[in-house]
Amino acid sequence: MTMEKKSHEVTETLHIPALRRKWQILALQIISTASLLLLLKRMSEIYGPCSEQFILDHSAGSWCPSYEHTRGLIWLSNRGDLLIPDVLLGLGQTGPTSFFGPLVICVAATVAWAQLRSLSQEFQTRVQRGVMIGFVAWMVVPFVFFWVIAMVFNGLHLPFGHEDEALNHMGVLFSPFGFVFELVFLGIVFAPVLAGLVGIWGLSKRPISWAVGYFLVVISIHAVLTFEPIVTEVDVGLRALPSQIGEGTMFWGLLSPFASSLLGIAVLMLVFLESGSAAINHLEYAASLPEDTKRNPEYVRQFNNVVNAHLVHIVVTITLVALTTALALAFDDLMISFVGVLEGTQWTGQVKESLELQMTYGKVISAGLFLLVVAGMRFVVPWQSITGYVESGIAKLRD
Amino acid sequence: MWTRKAAIMLAGGVSLILVGMMISNFQLMIIGLTFIAFISINGWIEGHSTLEITRFVPHTNVYKGDLVEVTLTISNNSYKRTQQLEIFDNVPHEMKLRRGINQMRLNLGPGQTTKIEYKLRCPLRGHYSIGPISVRYRNAFDLFVSESRIDDICDITVFPQIREIEDAMLKADVPKMYTGATTLRTPGPGMEFYSLREYLSTDSLRSINWKAYARTGDLMVNQKTRDAVTDVFVILDTREVSRIGTVLKNPLEMGTVAASSLANHFLKRKDSVALVTYGSKMDYLPPDTGDKQHYKILSRLASVSAAGSMPLQAVTNALAPRISRGSPVFIISSLEGDGTTLPAIRNLSGKGHEVIVLSPSSIDLERLVSRIPRMSYEVLKLERQNRLTAVSGYGAMVIDWMPEIELAQALLQSRGA
Repeated sequence: MTMEKKSHEVTETLHIPALRRKWQILALQIISTASLLLLLKRMSEIYGPCSEQFILDHSAGSWCPSYEHTRGLIWLSNRGDLLIPDVLLGLGQTGPTSFFGPLVICVAATVAWAQLRSLSQEFQTRVQRGVMIGFVAWMVVPFVFFWVIAMVFNGLHLPFGHEDEALNHMGVLFSPFGFVFELVFLGIVFAPVLAGLVGIWGLSKRPISWAVGYFLVVISIHAVLTFEPIVTEVDVGLRALPSQIGEGTMFWGLLSPFASSLLGIAVLMLVFLESGSAAINHLEYAASLPEDTKRNPEYVRQFNNVVNAHLVHIVVTITLVALTTALALAFDDLMISFVGVLEGTQWTGQVKESLELQMTYGKVISAGLFLLVVAGMRFVVPWQSITGYVESGIAKLRD
Repeated sequence: MWTRKAAIMLAGGVSLILVGMMISNFQLMIIGLTFIAFISINGWIEGHSTLEITRFVPHTNVYKGDLVEVTLTISNNSYKRTQQLEIFDNVPHEMKLRRGINQMRLNLGPGQTTKIEYKLRCPLRGHYSIGPISVRYRNAFDLFVSESRIDDICDITVFPQIREIEDAMLKADVPKMYTGATTLRTPGPGMEFYSLREYLSTDSLRSINWKAYARTGDLMVNQKTRDAVTDVFVILDTREVSRIGTVLKNPLEMGTVAASSLANHFLKRKDSVALVTYGSKMDYLPPDTGDKQHYKILSRLASVSAAGSMPLQAVTNALAPRISRGSPVFIISSLEGDGTTLPAIRNLSGKGHEVIVLSPSSIDLERLVSRIPRMSYEVLKLERQNRLTAVSGYGAMVIDWMPEIELAQALLQSRGA
């Protein structure tokens, strides 16, 4: 047993191929990927549907700029055949199954991108040129072919401006742009997913930050476009979020279903950002070590220590963040209850009235106050000493 | 200290809350609150650097090109976890990491210990310090950073290299002539009989003891006792001009190697060696023997740097009363930019000293760093040859030391002369 353990320690190194198979790193990457996919699902649930008025006013093939891809692609297909198969676009499916096809494209693109990045710079440039030349050939070759054939049978003519449609060939020249439009409609929803996957598995922090930024931009644009004064001027058909957060019915009355959904998006965003970046950070550190240090058992042991602690941190911190935010959102109720006990004076009546204005600033201000108290607790409660005692106690119990 | 990420997250959180309040959007407010809650919760736990860190360096005096092994032992004797720390041992930029690395990212539990081991190569002579040790706490999510220093300094002296010099190449012909000169019971050039030994092919035929040969039938030679010790003066030029060339190969570096090798050679023979360096000022180390003198010379050579423009004649004039009569004087200089070289050497030779000038070729050293047109090089080389010939004309033995030639090989010229 001891020999087995010893040989295991010796064979463990900090080389990137070995680390990419390490369970802690894989766990971080899988957590990040799962949170990204859940984020996609929850975002499309909240920001996907168009407003009821828009649905009533327009046909099923109409498009509103919501976070949903099938409606836009159906609108595009009404103007001509789509080049990408419906299965891959998720057309004809509803709900989360419509994500399956586009996700296959995203995974394939991520694998291709990662493979391409592992090849030489010269080969990458050659592939880029090949794709560009291929696209230009796709545009020009059919156009020239049809034009020349038409000239053989109908004589010399320009490829546009004829009454006879058979003599107009400019449409052939621009037909590949239909493919680009399909990708654009897919990209509105799946660009952050593709960027996120590329970031997580291709080990690049920038696409991860970009994906989070994209989600924030989508939320902000939606917020602005559904803001009442804007809607009265320009109604693009987006469904506005409820103006009331609702009564807490979940998690012992802490959260309303609506608040839970919104909090879920915020927490998933954090999990995706932090776990994805963590895997990259640790691998970057390992890559920066010299060759002999990568085999040093002390460095391997400390690397394991750091990564294990990071995993624990992610789980504990994110749970605490979710709990704290939920408590912060319910803090106004607590204050109302507290003030209710002191009922009788004019002051308590005024405070109660202002706090009850849940739609207005009351909820956020009370939540901010709660977070201020939470932040200040670092000076009151010695968290690290408490965790230290717990850890020492656990170690003693193990011994 | 807050990191850029924490600052952006806080600013973003506050902005989202404000914008959310302005347009009555709960999603923006909740994201903002979550960001701020994330920062608040992370603020609870911070790393600590109350660690016990000890550095072990087995050898603090090394020769140029040697390796220095450094071991840092880091112990967490507290009951708290350290959290993610980065330990960085500050190493002088002149030293190069040869094995391992001088930093580690760690997270020590209560009572845990770890070690950082690395090896440094010392390509440049001098006095250096390893340390202090930087301890940086970095929050797991890279939100807060705090750095502290542990002032554990280890001084390292890098001596110039010592090259082996064959005895036949250098010998002080003039014994010390004052009363009380030490008689050494070691074989060497001298008058008194020391012992008999078997003939070797390198021995002179004149040293064969024919009577012993007749008695034993084997060729035997007489070994003599070394007569006495000699004062050897080594004068090293450390003027600004001795910087010409690369950092590793310049007249000063070549000169320090030559001076340390000569000192080592003569001190091993129990001679007294004096060292004089001159550049911005003159430093004189009086002649002495033994390991202590050897250490003093090496330390002095480790700390010399190229500066100043003191003329050689000022040095020889100042030294004249201190140099024992007939003592050999080694002058290690490129002989560049000093109009007093000739009279200085003439004076020394005139007083009966054997003067040996070991002159690193600064023109060839300059070619290592800059391209000199062929014609200019030829002219400069000719000028140098003329200068060396003139020095040689005053009775000094001159060695033109080319950069690619080893010291022992260069000194062969003195024997050939």
